[in-house]
Amino acid sequence: MAPAPRKAMSEPGLWWLCLPAAAVFVVFFVIPVASLFGLSFNKSVAGVISYSNELTFDNFVRIFTRATYYEAILRSIWIAAVVSVTSLAFGYPLAYLIAKTTHPGRNTLLMILVLSSMQLDMVIRLFGLMVLFGDNGLINGFLLYLGLISRPLPLMYNTFGVIVGLVQITLPFMVLSLIGIIKAIHPSLEEAARSLGASRLQAFFSIVLPLSMPGILAGALLVFALSISSYVVPALMGGWKVIVLPIHIYQQIAEVGRWQFGAAIAVVLFVTSVIAVAIYHQAAARTSGGRT
Amino acid sequence: MTSKSFDRRSVLKMGAAAASLPLFNINHAWSQEVLFDGQAFDAGGAVLRLGEWGGTWGETVQKYLIAAFEKEFNCKVQYDSSWPWFPKFVAGGPEKPPLDICNWNVPEMVKTSKAGDYFLSLDEIIPNIPNGKNLWPFATANGVGVVWAYNQYGYAYRNDLVNPPPAAFKDLWKPEYAGKRGTYITSNGLQMDFFVTACELFGKDQYDLEAGYQAMRELMPAKISDFTGNMQTLMERGEVVVAVALDSDPLQARDRGAPIGFWYWTEKQPIISQVHTISRYSEPMQKKLALAFLDRVLTPEFLSDMGREFYLRPTIQNAVLPDNLVKAGVVNTADSTKDYWTPDWNAYIDNEDDIVETVNEIFGG
Amino acid sequence: MHEESNVPSVFKAIAFLSLAILLVPMAVVVLAGLNSGDYLTFPPQGLSLRWIKAFLTSPTFLSAYGVSFVVALGATLVSTLFGTMAAVFLSRSSSGSVPVLRGFFMLPIVLPGVVLGLALYVFFVSSGVGLARTMPGLLIGHILVTCPFVIATVTASLVGFDRSLEEAARSLGAGPVTAFRLVTLKIIAPAISAGSIFAFIVSFGQFELTLFLTAPDLQTLPSAMYTSMRYKFEPTAAAAGIFAIALVVISMVVTSRLVNLKKIFER
Repeated sequence: MAPAPRKAMSEPGLWWLCLPAAAVFVVFFVIPVASLFGLSFNKSVAGVISYSNELTFDNFVRIFTRATYYEAILRSIWIAAVVSVTSLAFGYPLAYLIAKTTHPGRNTLLMILVLSSMQLDMVIRLFGLMVLFGDNGLINGFLLYLGLISRPLPLMYNTFGVIVGLVQITLPFMVLSLIGIIKAIHPSLEEAARSLGASRLQAFFSIVLPLSMPGILAGALLVFALSISSYVVPALMGGWKVIVLPIHIYQQIAEVGRWQFGAAIAVVLFVTSVIAVAIYHQAAARTSGGRT
Repeated sequence: MTSKSFDRRSVLKMGAAAASLPLFNINHAWSQEVLFDGQAFDAGGAVLRLGEWGGTWGETVQKYLIAAFEKEFNCKVQYDSSWPWFPKFVAGGPEKPPLDICNWNVPEMVKTSKAGDYFLSLDEIIPNIPNGKNLWPFATANGVGVVWAYNQYGYAYRNDLVNPPPAAFKDLWKPEYAGKRGTYITSNGLQMDFFVTACELFGKDQYDLEAGYQAMRELMPAKISDFTGNMQTLMERGEVVVAVALDSDPLQARDRGAPIGFWYWTEKQPIISQVHTISRYSEPMQKKLALAFLDRVLTPEFLSDMGREFYLRPTIQNAVLPDNLVKAGVVNTADSTKDYWTPDWNAYIDNEDDIVETVNEIFGG
Repeated sequence: MHEESNVPSVFKAIAFLSLAILLVPMAVVVLAGLNSGDYLTFPPQGLSLRWIKAFLTSPTFLSAYGVSFVVALGATLVSTLFGTMAAVFLSRSSSGSVPVLRGFFMLPIVLPGVVLGLALYVFFVSSGVGLARTMPGLLIGHILVTCPFVIATVTASLVGFDRSLEEAARSLGAGPVTAFRLVTLKIIAPAISAGSIFAFIVSFGQFELTLFLTAPDLQTLPSAMYTSMRYKFEPTAAAAGIFAIALVVISMVVTSRLVNLKKIFER
């Protein structure tokens, strides 16, 4: 009868623990953001921030009738999804290696390498990526030298470049979301599978991967959220060839000053993300039995 | 009874009003006439909020101007480099300016002045800055702020990779530069001037947006940069061989021994301006300090220092050009400045949403 | 036998590729920061500490580094406290509102920073609370974007937490607070550390949110880098990057002396 005492122990008196964070979020997130979103139903005028009572859906009509905007919605979702999957594909093995590295010194070293890579500012990081991925960059230079290609590959200033930049930035978040859960999987489970004749990879796919699902889902969600809301990476790595929603938002808000329209695009991005996250939570609840 | 939130709000407002009470001598203190005669005065430790560019630029202004200014007027200059300014001004409205004196490029300044009564007019400024009498006519041609320094537009090119060098505005469209020519995103002033000039030279006049769009379409493929620092790296790495540019960086690069050449557009001569505005609704003391600051900006010494450090060109007739500018062939005469072109930024701003949208579509392919 | 040998070689190969993706751009920047030439270039034209010195004598970058450090520290402390408290509630309450609340606490990182920044700025200005472009205002923004990381990390660790341990402590006569402090807090401490490391790094690197919230004497490092590099890609910025990396390396080495580092990311 495990569930019963658990329910009794759920301590309804604990709600106050949530209060400080909830208060900060309501006052400084919900109210300001909702006020800004309210503007999206006003006519779009540069440099006006006050409300008028004349409500209109013009801003939303414009977003869904002009290709540059509705294509950006799909592009944003698509890029964030590809980045989540790519980050997982590269991040899981690294997280696995770190989780299985028991030597304390080596483990610390790996952790430091991952964490310090998060610490590099994007604008200066761009320089490092240019040196590597540019038309005359090290990668193209190397491939040309080997004679594998006859002209530089376009590795930057396109969708590929944006994905590279986003993976580079989000990979540590994925890795750190996975390490804990992989460690928590008891090695004896894997050993049991192997003693039954499974290969290391078979044991991994039948035992370890399913058990690490909550971490995979949490990490992918984090990466998705970070990717779909990023302005700096698409702006710097996309060479303005990859126009995503945050670029439109940034331009309307910081430069053109049509905040009503910028707010409308932000509403669309926000709703898109919330729907994506909700679908995701549903899927997560199914795969991990309600524990995400 | 009013609602709870309303009560709280009015209490907060009263608190804020009470806190700021000592600052106001009378109602509408800003409406007092503010005069400056060029003589130093004691500001009693008042704080002047200055909006200017960041990085080494800021350190240089600090070193050559602000340090002495703070001593001369017994004040504190609060240096703010958190550009963009337009949203910060507009969010608070004209009567709550975030800055007392601000440095801009013209389009953003025009956009702000169109959004409300933010700035003192030139008629209120020029008579109150003794050094204003030395300004060239083009320095006030924008009708809003005082241009204190400028650079001229042209093409920067790699002189080891481009032969012959560009000799006409339309040379950027030559097929051999496909994918290796560079310009900027629409929010960068360089692209704004480049676009308006393309409208003018490819179309009927500067208002011929369709001609400008067509020119941008034909410019593709090109490398589009967010800011100048990025473009410099692209040129340094040879990924861009010719790009829209100001004279300052290429001249500096050339003097440093980099293989960079520069060609000034001759068909039309737009300039990028460093232009100061003074906020109308700042406090009288701050406005007086702002006038004094602008007056000290317009001195041959400071402009010469900025010219030496940044290859910036002065807008005053009595300027002394530093050696690097003289060596680059820069002159400062009535004749050399008479053809500078100030595009109709009012019209540009009126059409900005359409321009941004369409050019985004073209650049985004 | 080392457990590492149990890692399939395909995994090892991909893991090293991932490390290369993370570290090679960083190595380029570090080398560019040690360049002896006049401008940011690669390969460097000889090595020197010239730009490190330039960073250490630059009033802009050095003070921005300081501001970023203080803001990140403040945001981390508040987020860790509030976030952990919320996470305890979220993992223990059986209320139907919990999944909604967990989603709610993730929202600030779904929104582009520039939207949140503008919303806060307009709110601060129009409500007249005097927080616009002040340290507390900047801190509030950073708390909003760092708190989700703490909540997510700590909740995840508490969901798998075995309550029977705490119950055992209570059956031995400990009060609920003592039991929590002695048992639960000890076990979730690694998750709290992990969440706070996340929070610190996210705050330290935050640019878009800061766009509207910085003030003259409150410029953060990313915003100083951005405003400076708009004009010129300076080696000083690469040197500043070296110091940002050093901050994490040093704090990690110190922590690993204090607590066993590998425990931090265990659940």
